[in-house]
Amino acid sequence: MLQITRRAGERIVLDGGISIVVLDVTGGQVKVGVDAPRSVRVYRGEIWDAIEAENRAAVADAPDALPAMPPREQPADG
Amino acid sequence: MPVTIESRRFGRLELPDTQVVDVPHGLVGLPGTRYAFVPTDAGSPFWWLQSAEDPDLALPVCDPFQFFPDFALELSDDATAEAGLPEDGAGVQVWVTVRASGELQDFAANLRGPIVVVDGTAHQVVNEAPGADVRAPLFA
Repeated sequence: MLQITRRAGERIVLDGGISIVVLDVTGGQVKVGVDAPRSVRVYRGEIWDAIEAENRAAVADAPDALPAMPPREQPADG
Repeated sequence: MPVTIESRRFGRLELPDTQVVDVPHGLVGLPGTRYAFVPTDAGSPFWWLQSAEDPDLALPVCDPFQFFPDFALELSDDATAEAGLPEDGAGVQVWVTVRASGELQDFAANLRGPIVVVDGTAHQVVNEAPGADVRAPLFA
């Protein structure tokens, strides 16, 4: 993995018009700004990982047939 | 115009093209950019999202509003624009993926990464709504 040391206010430029700016460093947290074209999707890593894991598990765990069971009736209010 | 799709589970399917969607960015971590919504038995809340390109690739999906009356979808402005969603949500279908392993009480839906469909194009998006669980039990 490429490793680059940056200070607050400095940035990294990626091909394709993407800039990553270190906005602030406080304690153990780094605030990062991403400037990218709208077609480039930006995710927090842990959310991307979680959705990817669920998608793959949904495929891997899928049975041959799904139950024909309707959802439970919602209890009526009151 | 019907569309023909090969599926390991269902064999050769003839589906109305309204049930086939383009997924330009794909589903997160899964291959392919074209999928079909395949109904299961009448009365079932589950559908299959079957790859139009890989007969082996299919995952169960359901309508989150059917199971979670309080389900809320909150997208960033960028995600809304990129998915081409109208601001008022008109004509948008929302689906969530389902882990359908084991017993019914183990079934869970991913409310954090729903799939939104508008005008034959689908995007998997990040739901920013607080409490949108990655693994929300459907029957527990």
